[in-house]
Amino acid sequence: MPVSIKDKMPQSSESMFEENIAIFVGLLRREGLPVGTTEMIDALNALARIDLANRGEFKAALRSTLVKSYRDQALFSSIFDHYFVPREEHQKRSEEAVAYHQQLKNQINRADSELQFKGESLQLTSGELQQYGSLSEQQRDRLQDFLHKTETGKNVESRFRPLLETVVRSHLRYCRTKKKSMQESSGDGAGQEAGADPGREARSLRETDIEAIRAADMPAVEQLLQKLSRKLAIKILRRRRSGPRSGTLDLRRSMRENMRFGGIIFNLKHKPKRRSKQQILLLCDVSASMKQYSVFVIHFLLGLQEVVRNLSCFSFSDNVENLTPGLKGRSDLQHILDRVIRQSKNWGGGTNLGRSLSEMTRKYPDLANAKTTVIVVSDTKTVSLDQAIKELEKFKDQVRRIIWLNPLPLEYWPDYRSVKEIGELVEMWPCSTIAQLEEVLTGRL
Amino acid sequence: MTITLDDLRKKFERVGYICDESTALTVYLALDLGKPLLIEGAPGVGKTEMGKVLAEILETELIRLQCYEGLDETKALYEWNYQRQLLRIQMNRNLEDEQIREEDLFSGDYLLERPLLKAIQAQKPAVLLIDEVDKCDPEFEAFLFEVLSDFQVSIPELGTVRARNIPVVVLTSNNERELSDGLKRRCLYLYLDFPELEKEVAILKAKVPGIADRLAWETARVVAGLRRQQDLRKKPSIAETLDWARALVALNRNRLDGKLVADTLNLFLKTHADQQYFRREIGPEGIDKMLKNPENGGEICRCQ
Ligand SMILES: Nc1ncnc2c1ncn2[C@@H]1O[C@H](COP(=O)(O)OP(=O)(O)O)[C@@H](O)[C@H]1O
Ligand SMILES: [Mg+2]
Repeated sequence: MPVSIKDKMPQSSESMFEENIAIFVGLLRREGLPVGTTEMIDALNALARIDLANRGEFKAALRSTLVKSYRDQALFSSIFDHYFVPREEHQKRSEEAVAYHQQLKNQINRADSELQFKGESLQLTSGELQQYGSLSEQQRDRLQDFLHKTETGKNVESRFRPLLETVVRSHLRYCRTKKKSMQESSGDGAGQEAGADPGREARSLRETDIEAIRAADMPAVEQLLQKLSRKLAIKILRRRRSGPRSGTLDLRRSMRENMRFGGIIFNLKHKPKRRSKQQILLLCDVSASMKQYSVFVIHFLLGLQEVVRNLSCFSFSDNVENLTPGLKGRSDLQHILDRVIRQSKNWGGGTNLGRSLSEMTRKYPDLANAKTTVIVVSDTKTVSLDQAIKELEKFKDQVRRIIWLNPLPLEYWPDYRSVKEIGELVEMWPCSTIAQLEEVLTGRL
Repeated sequence: MTITLDDLRKKFERVGYICDESTALTVYLALDLGKPLLIEGAPGVGKTEMGKVLAEILETELIRLQCYEGLDETKALYEWNYQRQLLRIQMNRNLEDEQIREEDLFSGDYLLERPLLKAIQAQKPAVLLIDEVDKCDPEFEAFLFEVLSDFQVSIPELGTVRARNIPVVVLTSNNERELSDGLKRRCLYLYLDFPELEKEVAILKAKVPGIADRLAWETARVVAGLRRQQDLRKKPSIAETLDWARALVALNRNRLDGKLVADTLNLFLKTHADQQYFRREIGPEGIDKMLKNPENGGEICRCQ
């Protein structure tokens, strides 16, 4: 017997409820969770079967119908907690918001009375007044002092007013940028205000430099990173689907074909052979200049490792190290990454790309072939660039393609000759933010 | 499948399957919505067990399809009984006069039912447990997806076979690889994590007769502490906790100490590397320290 949400609540709140769920689903989608219409219908059907007043049940019902991967569990949980605020919390937040607005109003009024010139208010916007209110006492005193001195100076006319306003305005602007840059360097970002829109926060996460992301947001970002690298691998591998199953004996067809021989099987029928698989070779730069991108490298690798069966992995700085044997098994991998990538003596050395490449191809000659797609994660900073270019050209001819992910923020690219010259040889993509990595995926890859 | 959430909770308890509210709710929803349930989680957290206890709870047959690399339709769905067919053909040759027809040979008499076919042919809705689905090839997964969408299969020689009864389907996966979106879309999803301390104690009490309260708690605490050790290759699962606890009970123990833990090491750490790690980094001293400080959040400290 199908039950619908209708049976549980009055008409108007029903549509609001469904709308709410739809908005929530929209938020999940924006985070890259593959929630389709089927899932949404399932969710609504599930909600019709539970005690909606029970927050635990409500969350579990949405989770089991909308989220189909363990990797997305944490992400789901945080979006849910942001979006479906418990009633008491909601109450608290709106009280806080009211109080906050009241405080703002007071601030503005006070600012207006303090910033006067010859008994008249300065023409400042409420934003500017508010900003004045948030200055330190000392800073406020300084501005007032300045106004007062001007006011009482000789030959002061009221036409000075616009000029004064400009001065005050630019001073406020100066204070604002200074404050902002101080906040950034101490890691005290915005987004903490009451009722923050999780969607907005998420969007900014995507655009923040991966290395500048707050610790609290790290799990979500790590998940996104792994998801994206999985997608990347799938995209690369999909180009040539492997053929049908291998050449095992096809008894059914053999039997049919040979019935006419009275049960003696003359012609054995085989199932067609599977074509050999493509492989991915990941080269991670672990030199000192890359250390700050280690989070990116590690989670990128973890994601790849989950979907690519033929994955080889090398770390390089002034020489190479084969990480492939450690890739078997998830727990082993964590191990290796911690030991090798984060703590290894390799982190810290300078990069010698040329030597690393030639050493690798010499030691592992089978690695580079026409079925190999190479993904390099490196900021291109290397010693002996000209030799590196030569080796890279050789290497490029041996493999199918080279995709170079460069975590160096885009604005620094023009400063480096290495970026330019390597970029002419390989497909180079920026990946210092999640948004950029997404672009790689939707791009011409 | 008509069963209330409350009923289901009680029955889980009765058959000794310990689970939290949201797990019971998810299972209930899967049953009530008639959707397959996909369970993911580390080895030994009770995924397979869920399939088994569901059959018990619903008082129906458990049909199990164990997946592995290379599993194909002939092992999962049906196969022709070639020996019988051959015999028939040979017998027929001796009779000389009558020409044997293809339809005779490829009829129900010569069909070997494998788990999937069995499950949709069952007289009473069965529980179909498709275990470790991440081990099968993507091609087979695609096929599985179709079976689970339509609950009908086409056998070229016989035509379409529709489900007599739609089975309760439980799929499990150890996350060895990502399953296809299509398959996941069909299912409700349940992620089983290692149990909380209280839950593991409850499992111990339900599954290990005669275990002392203190031993149950201490065992669970040590295991939980070990699972937090990032460097272990294979973290002890519920199965290992149970094995270990049973052995301890058989040894007539009702509490743990560092030496006993070290002596019974191979019951909960199964790889040589992990055992060495334990001896090197934790040792009896580490365990004793942890057991003495229950306030410490169960942290096992390294002993150097
Ligand atoms: N929630 C639980 N309640 C009771 N026993 C459990 C529970 N979870 C796991 N177990 C026990 O742990 C053992 C391993 O569980 P199993 O289902 O085989 O793990 P897996 O997740 O690898 O399929 C089983 O013998 C089962 O008895
Ligand atoms: Mg199992």
